Parts: sequence; structure tokens; C-alpha cells
Amino acid sequence: MSNNITISHGNGGKHMRHLIEDVFAKHLTNDLLNTDSDAALLPLKNQQLMTTVDGFTVQPIIFPGGDIGSLCIHGTVNDLAVSGAIPEFITLGVIIEEGLALDTLDKVVKSMAEAAKEAGVKIVCGDTKVVPRGQGSEVYFTTTGIGYKSSVVDYSTKLIKPGDKILISGSIGDHGAAIMLAREQFGLSGSLKSDSANVISFCQSVYELEGVRFMRDPTRGGIASVLHEFNQATGYGIQMNEADAPIHDEVITICDMLGYEPYYLANEGRVVAVVEAGIAEQVLSIWKKLPNGEKASIIGDITDQHQQVVLQTELGGERIMHELSDTPLPRIC
Amino acid sequence: MSLNNAKHWLQKINDLQLPEKIKIMNVCGGHERTISNAGIRSLLPENIELIPGPGCPVCICPEEDIFLAIQLALNEDVILIAFGDMLQVPVNVSKKEVRTLEQARANGADVRPIASPREAISIANDNSDKKIIFFAAGFETTTSPVAAMIAEGLPENLFILLSGRLTWPAVAMLLESDEPGFDALVAPGHVSTVMGPEEWQFVIEQHHIPTAIAGFEAESMLAALYSVLRQKLDGHLFLDNCYQEVVHDGGNKTAQRYLNETMDVTDNNWRGIGIIPKSGFSLSKQYAAHDARLVFKDYSDDSRRRIGEMPAGCDCAKVVLGKIYPDQCRLYGTACQPETPIGPCMVSDEGACHIWWNTAPRKSKTKKTKSSRLVESI
Repeated sequence: MSNNITISHGNGGKHMRHLIEDVFAKHLTNDLLNTDSDAALLPLKNQQLMTTVDGFTVQPIIFPGGDIGSLCIHGTVNDLAVSGAIPEFITLGVIIEEGLALDTLDKVVKSMAEAAKEAGVKIVCGDTKVVPRGQGSEVYFTTTGIGYKSSVVDYSTKLIKPGDKILISGSIGDHGAAIMLAREQFGLSGSLKSDSANVISFCQSVYELEGVRFMRDPTRGGIASVLHEFNQATGYGIQMNEADAPIHDEVITICDMLGYEPYYLANEGRVVAVVEAGIAEQVLSIWKKLPNGEKASIIGDITDQHQQVVLQTELGGERIMHELSDTPLPRIC
Repeated sequence: MSLNNAKHWLQKINDLQLPEKIKIMNVCGGHERTISNAGIRSLLPENIELIPGPGCPVCICPEEDIFLAIQLALNEDVILIAFGDMLQVPVNVSKKEVRTLEQARANGADVRPIASPREAISIANDNSDKKIIFFAAGFETTTSPVAAMIAEGLPENLFILLSGRLTWPAVAMLLESDEPGFDALVAPGHVSTVMGPEEWQFVIEQHHIPTAIAGFEAESMLAALYSVLRQKLDGHLFLDNCYQEVVHDGGNKTAQRYLNETMDVTDNNWRGIGIIPKSGFSLSKQYAAHDARLVFKDYSDDSRRRIGEMPAGCDCAKVVLGKIYPDQCRLYGTACQPETPIGPCMVSDEGACHIWWNTAPRKSKTKKTKSSRLVESI
């Protein structure tokens, strides 16, 4: 077999069977994944199901702190977890560009398997296509995530009230900044890593708490876009405190150099929660004790004093955080 | 701690007894961003006005140069490269025609944004069978690396469409006008790094305007603001360097040598402003073979050169000169927003309108907050 993906790997024949058996099934095997069947049978529980769909096109496909394989699991399970579901199953669509090294594909699928194991999800079915060189960008993944809804959770932006507190589970902008470091065009280097991770423990740790209004994972568009979502959904103002925002010095430096702001950079392993003021410290203390939670912080308030997304600067001044309109850094997830 | 230092300078400014209104101009988009991002306007006494002046190279890049770049991209078999900001700047043609380099790209032209001048060399080397035109607009800070690149030798297939400008002549022009519109100057940090702080001495000696060079942290900006206010109060004027980490006497001699070797200083057009004497760079004769203006001279169209022209209804010219604040333009935030820019100041990251749109309170939605004072004071 060639060391690179060829068009024949997508032809439905022997090469494709080898690819599926030697790469995908080898790493992703589990009791529900049956490569001989066109559909998977999922066990039913007496709980409502939640489902989500996601696509992954990140470039480069391997970046500091992760790769497109682990990212596609994290991105999918996080969408379920912040919505109050326990992620269980994932379906996987794969589009590979002719010429991709098999070793590279093996590496990202192995990393996908590890991330799935850690998140407690099974890849239950998949599909593989190969497109001619130049018509793709190494590899794309499309996933569907399925999970059982936690019966105690009913999050909605409608529950958000003035006085509520906004928390983030860790540092801001690491994924976006790490992708910039990894892109050769900027000629930068550093030790910063993407925050790509599942946030299941952060979400599940507060499912039982009364007073959690809403959660969201601040991926594309960053924390600023999530705050704008809250603002638009509720009509209330958002007051964010720059001094409380956990941001790595490296992220600040990269942003200064390239003219970005950390608040608009993607995160792939963080949760933003809006909670009743009375439980904010409790949530913070729970989160801080979790792995990767040491930088969790209460970063702002919901307010009826104005109707904008306002940043209280470290210096004590105020400015608005605009809604993202341009796309400075495409293909980050 | 730079935050503590910044707070220290802020306190000192607020402790000053300022008898009257004082207008302080900055001439660098980076400075305007520092002021806006840190919310400095909302923290200063009401009689201090901070005015963004001519500090955005994209904003003053002549319309005829952008038009030329678009025509070359559309009609010649070339790869046209430019700094990303330039791609969205509209020229004054009807909406049916191609108005921006971005639209030229959508129409099939090979237009590529770059982040560093050096990328021009690698694109030229990677595409040796094609002609590459580098549309190089910028102030001294971006023009000097272009000069270095030229001096070190360009690939045969790389041509430069140079639209470089010097900063100080625009300030001199304002100061020599009937209404300069400012009482103190924050001089640009990076330009001073390249050209030397001495370039700004004339503001004090000839025009008796307090001047300080600032960097791009709030601390350095506030130190510079405090300096010019003290100079004004004490009547003791001196060119203060509040960015000593990188601004040194004489500037960067190597960069200046490259500029001198490869370029001539010429009278040039500034969009919305007009011809300013000795305010721009042109390639020296010895590099004529790489000068896109000469190599593609059939495209030069002097009839396009109309002094002071901005799109209809757009007040970018007044914004660039510090005559009005961005949100005093009729189009600001209505027809002209970052997604649908009409004037160049709303396009560039260095443009005052773009910076204000990203950071300043919106009039319509603002309730009475501390920062709304900014709007009311205008």
C-alpha cells in the first residue's frame, strides 16, 4: 500500500477497506461500531436525546496542544455538555485530500480515539471519501454528536437576569493564538498550546446546582461573541472586567503583534456560564478544583444599567467590545 | 508594574490644574488604538480632548493608486499582493464597476494579502513564471523594510507599486495652516524609532507646540499625555521621549540608509488632503526596471488625480486631519460600517473610524454610563 492517500482509497474497493480497517477501525473500535453495517443500533434509555452537528477544517491539522482528530471530539462533546447532555455517541464523516500521508492520518485518528475515550463517547458509524489533490485541504471531519439529556438541567438565555454573574472556566484565546503560532506565514514561535479539551467535567459539576442559567463554549468568535449572544438574546447589558480576565502573557503578546484582541480568539476547551450571583463563588470554587480549572474566573455581570457589551479596562476606563464582523483568522476549527 | 505606572500617570494628569480646554493630537493609528482600547478618554478630565490625526497610511493612500492597482490586477497577467488592509478600500467608481481589490479578486484577478513585505520575495520566487506587483502603501515604518528588500536585490519578476509616505510633512502642513486644530502633539513611536526623534523637534522650535513621543502601552501614552500637559502649563517646551525602550537618538541608521539608497523623497498626493511637499517616497531611477509605475506606464491616468477626493458624503478627509471626530461623519455607523466601509478610515485597523466603531459607545443604545461622556463631549 502507498504511504499516501490515493484516489483509490475512496473507490469503495480493496484499498478503501484496508484504509478503514487499518486506520479507522483499528483506533476507533468499540462494541457499537460495526464496519460491515451501514447503520448503527443505539441503545435507548428513558431519557430525552440531544444531538449536534459540527464540521472541522482547521489548518494546520496538527497544532501545538492538539490536532484535528482530538479537536473534532472536543468540539462535538462540548456542544452537548454545555447544553446539559451527557455525550454518548458520535458519527464521523471523513473527507481526505489525495496525497495526505497515511502516517499523518493515522496520527490524527489515534488522537481522536484517545479524546473519545477520555470523553466517554463511542464513534458508532462513519463514512470516508477521497477528493483529488487541490480540492480539499488534507482532511476534513464532520461529526454528529448524540447524548442523553440530564433531567435536572433546563438552561436557557431566557433565565438570565440583571445581577447574574458570568464565569469562564480557564484562560482566554489559547486555541486561536496557538493556531497563529503554528501558521508559518506569521513566522512566530513559542511554547503556547491550544486549550483543546473536553469540558464535560466543568459542565457536569454544576448540573445539580440551582441558579445556573446558561452555558456556552466560546469557540469561533471567542468570548466576545458569546457575550454578544447573551446581549442580543436578553436585551441586557454586559459588563466585563478586563482585570479579571485570565489571559496568558503569550496570548497578549501575539495579539499585540498581529493586531488582534484575545476576546475574539477561539477557545476549544472552555465554558462560559451565566449564574445567579448567589452561587457564583460556589461555581468558581468547584471549577478551580477541577483539572485545567485553576484559572477559572468570574469575569463580568449582566446589567440593566446599559444595553451594550462594555469592557471595564484594567486602567478603570470603559469601552465597548464590538461584535466581530471581519474574519481575521479563518479555518481555526 | 506597568498597570500601576499607568494609574500613577493617570492620577498625576487628574491632579493637574488645567485652566482651559486643551486638544492633544496623535498621528498614529496604533496610538489611537491604545487610547481607545484602554478607555483613556473616559478617564481624563473633561477639558482634555484627544484627537486622532493623520496616522493611517491606508486612509491617505491616493485613490488613483488603488485604482491603478485594481486595473493592473484585472487586466494584466500578474499576481498583485498588498497588505491586507488595502484590499477593502473602495475607489470612486460606480457600484457596477470593480471598486476594491477584494472585488477584483472575486472577478478572477490573482490578488493576495500579505502580512510582511518579505512574503513578496517568496511569492515571486515561488511563481517565477509570473509577474508579481507589490502594492506597497505605508509610512516610514513599512516603507523602510520595502527599501531594505529592494537594496538587497529583488527577483526579476517582482515590481513595486510604491505608495510610501512620510508622517511629519502632514503635521507640518497642519501646523502651517490657519487652524491647526491642536495644542499639543503625541508624536509617533515607531516612526521615531526608524527616523529618529529629532524629526519632531520642529514642532517645538518652529510652532511652540508641546510634543512627546509615546509608545503603545497605556503607561507610555499616559506619560506622554502628562508630559505635554505639564509642558503647556509650565511653558517649558521640550521634545520628550516617553518611548525610550526603542526610540533612540538618530533613529535606525541602517533603515534610513536603505531608504536613501533606493528611494527619492517627492511631492505626493494624500487622499482627501492633496499634494504635500516632500511627503512621499518614489523608487530611485536605478530601480526603474522594478518600478510598476514605469513598467506598466500605459495604466497611469493623471486625470484620476483629483485633490481631496473621498467617496460622496464621506468625511474621512476631515477625520484624517483631526477636524472632526469619526462619529461626527454623517455616514459613520449608518451606511459606513466595517462590513460595508465607504471611506478608507472605516476599512483599516489603523483608521480612526474603524477603531472608534470597535471601541467607542454607540450613541443610539447608550444609556447614561461613564463612557457616554465621550459622546456628549463632542
